[in-house]
Amino acid sequence: MKVFIDPPNSMVLFDLVERFGHEPLSSMAVIQEKIDNIEVDMPPMNVTLDDVVRGLKYAGVEVPSGIRGRMSLWGPMIEAADAAIIIDNAPFSFGCVGCDRSNELTKYLIHRRGIPALTVKYPTDEAEAKIMVGQIKDFLGGLKQ
Amino acid sequence: MSEQRETRILMISPDSKLTPDQLVRAVHAMVPEISIKETCYGCLVEGTRETVKKVVEQVRQIYRNEVFSKRRGYPQGDPRRCRAQHGTRPGFTQLEAEWECLPLIQYALNEIDAGNGAYEVPAEKKPIPVKEMKDICEAYR
Repeated sequence: MKVFIDPPNSMVLFDLVERFGHEPLSSMAVIQEKIDNIEVDMPPMNVTLDDVVRGLKYAGVEVPSGIRGRMSLWGPMIEAADAAIIIDNAPFSFGCVGCDRSNELTKYLIHRRGIPALTVKYPTDEAEAKIMVGQIKDFLGGLKQ
Repeated sequence: MSEQRETRILMISPDSKLTPDQLVRAVHAMVPEISIKETCYGCLVEGTRETVKKVVEQVRQIYRNEVFSKRRGYPQGDPRRCRAQHGTRPGFTQLEAEWECLPLIQYALNEIDAGNGAYEVPAEKKPIPVKEMKDICEAYR
């Protein structure tokens, strides 16, 4: 099954989803498509006119263009996903390369679609790591084809 | 999605005794027609989707919970990303932060493999209801 991961470029989630037998939907795949096919230098920071129009489906015209650019990439993945795993406390996804509003909107779209979603936290010790990986394993094991 | 090329990041957990050099030599011996670049955290592997899939499967068999992988959008040594050509690495903060927590993930996966995967989710802390709060305030007035 296709599992959307948030943060969309998370290596831990990508690896765990693949390890437990599902297909992760990540930002790297859509970025590769842009780089290979239309030679955009730095997606999602460089976007095409089509991306901006596509982003309007997920965010209004008054919303900053950065959010629309990101949503034009994340949005179709959320629509294609059968389930989602979200890591809640990812401070490095907020800042010059991250966008908290996009993160909020991503979580909102996931919950609005009503697909099975698991929210976990980055571990700070071994006990928390066991909880996080255990929850992800059980969640992915429970997804039916 | 592009089927022609797939680039993978293979990252070694800091708790592992494996070195990037050893990993690169092992991956080179796994399948033909693959391009590998040694990096400080492990290596980059590039080839067709099937070839890279075979590599990842074999790496997971040999270095089960020590090596983690994810796809990479840009090809190896791309001038827009390669540090040697002053490329920017906006995604590196994410990689660096996750690299630090890989030993914890490795520990958890090892525990699950050893059959000690039982865990207890701590009860979620909820704010106290207004009525209850009011009763407490009234009681200690």
